[in-house]
Amino acid sequence: MAELTAFHFRPGTSLLHTLDVRFKILSFVLISISSFKAYPSALSVLTLVIFYAILISCLPFKSILKELRYFFVLLVFIFIVRAMFTSASPVVDFKESAVAWQGIYDGALICWRLLIVVLFGLIFVSTTRPSDIRTAVEWFLMPFPFIPGKRVATMMSLIMRFVPLILDQARETIDAQRSRGVENRKNPVYRLIKLIIPLMIRTFKKADKLAVAMEARCYSEKRTNKALLSAKSDWITLFGVICLSILLSIIDT
Amino acid sequence: MNIIEVTNLSHRFSDGTIGIEGITLSIQEGEFVVIAGRNGSGKTTFLRHLNGLLLPDTGAVRLGGVSVSRDIPRARQMVGMVFQDADSQIVGETVFDDVAFGPENLCLNECEVKRRVIKSLEVVDLIDIADQRPHLLSGGEKRRLAVAGILAMEPRILVFDEPFSDLDYPGVRQLLHQTLLLHKAGHTILIATHDLEKVIAHADRLLIISDGKVVMDNAPEMIIKDVEAFGVREPCASRLGMEIESWLN
Repeated sequence: MAELTAFHFRPGTSLLHTLDVRFKILSFVLISISSFKAYPSALSVLTLVIFYAILISCLPFKSILKELRYFFVLLVFIFIVRAMFTSASPVVDFKESAVAWQGIYDGALICWRLLIVVLFGLIFVSTTRPSDIRTAVEWFLMPFPFIPGKRVATMMSLIMRFVPLILDQARETIDAQRSRGVENRKNPVYRLIKLIIPLMIRTFKKADKLAVAMEARCYSEKRTNKALLSAKSDWITLFGVICLSILLSIIDT
Repeated sequence: MNIIEVTNLSHRFSDGTIGIEGITLSIQEGEFVVIAGRNGSGKTTFLRHLNGLLLPDTGAVRLGGVSVSRDIPRARQMVGMVFQDADSQIVGETVFDDVAFGPENLCLNECEVKRRVIKSLEVVDLIDIADQRPHLLSGGEKRRLAVAGILAMEPRILVFDEPFSDLDYPGVRQLLHQTLLLHKAGHTILIATHDLEKVIAHADRLLIISDGKVVMDNAPEMIIKDVEAFGVREPCASRLGMEIESWLN
């Protein structure tokens, strides 16, 4: 199950790999905001940009699609719900439910927007070292004295490290319970409780061990900070993304 | 020269149970010591006093003449500890980041951090997968990554807590081989285990801990016949009256 977390760094030497992480975050935020207000014409432009970004960053397109298969299931679910519950004149009637063209259009639009944001997020994570993201988070939180930036960044990086482990543990617990016939119990609440309690206990125990191991390696909030250096290419990219965002808002008006 | 001096060390847990009691011993620089005992005998509790993860109720631990409780950061830099569960020891999102974690905590500059990371990964032969995510490594690779993580802090003493548990035969051999190389390079090695078979052929000294006390402390060949009284299995070759061979042969 851990292998299914598509969001991970993939080493490379492309332009996207070498850009300053702060500029990448700003660009990602700008594009995400633009895509949430975009309609088909602007979304088509963004889709082309995504294909171009995947191409220049040499990311394995097929394996990305494979790893995102559960996300596609979620998109299908969102599409069906949206299609069935949008109030407009129905084109298909089935028992109590009705599907309208407007619902299909709205569902497709929302799914397209979500897909674009997720793909941009994936390109960002795939081309950025986790330690750089941590450093950038610290940098962005610096102006807020009431937020402990270093602690937030460390917690964030530990979450990224431990999500696959927790997923592995969940799979192990599910397998162990299936081998003892948990599937014969039809009550989903009972099954959920039997999964969550041991999983939480194991996760907390692991967290305890992690804290001791970090202490053994002299962990403190006073530690070496990675230097973040911006280059001309970073500013050009950011300028390009700002222009793209303006263009997208013009296309749709 | 004694690098570790332990005097009358005792530790009682908060629920009142005794972890270790009255341990007095010294370990010379460059020694290879195996600490054996049944589960719950106090091996891990003892080891955690060496780098200040636990502090003694009575007694003291001195590293190179300086008390651990007087300078805990120095103790943690001097004593690198590899835990039983490598997964819980690995904190970085990539192999490189994990090894860099220790040097970064020592506030070294970026060039020095990078130099140490590369050197440590070369020692444990993981340099080719520096960008790999740790959870995708095999059990043996994870253990070697944990070793690299502590080597990057340039410790003089390496402490392994049950290093061979959960490892397959090639994994044990690889880790054993690297441990011997580190010993040869001058590190003092302490290995806690309840399974003598895999490592005892290389040890200079065997300590048996039982109920929190050191009950035997001698060269392995002098006491190996008596270890079963303390819940530790005598190696097969020794039982058959043969010479104990290395797992590397």
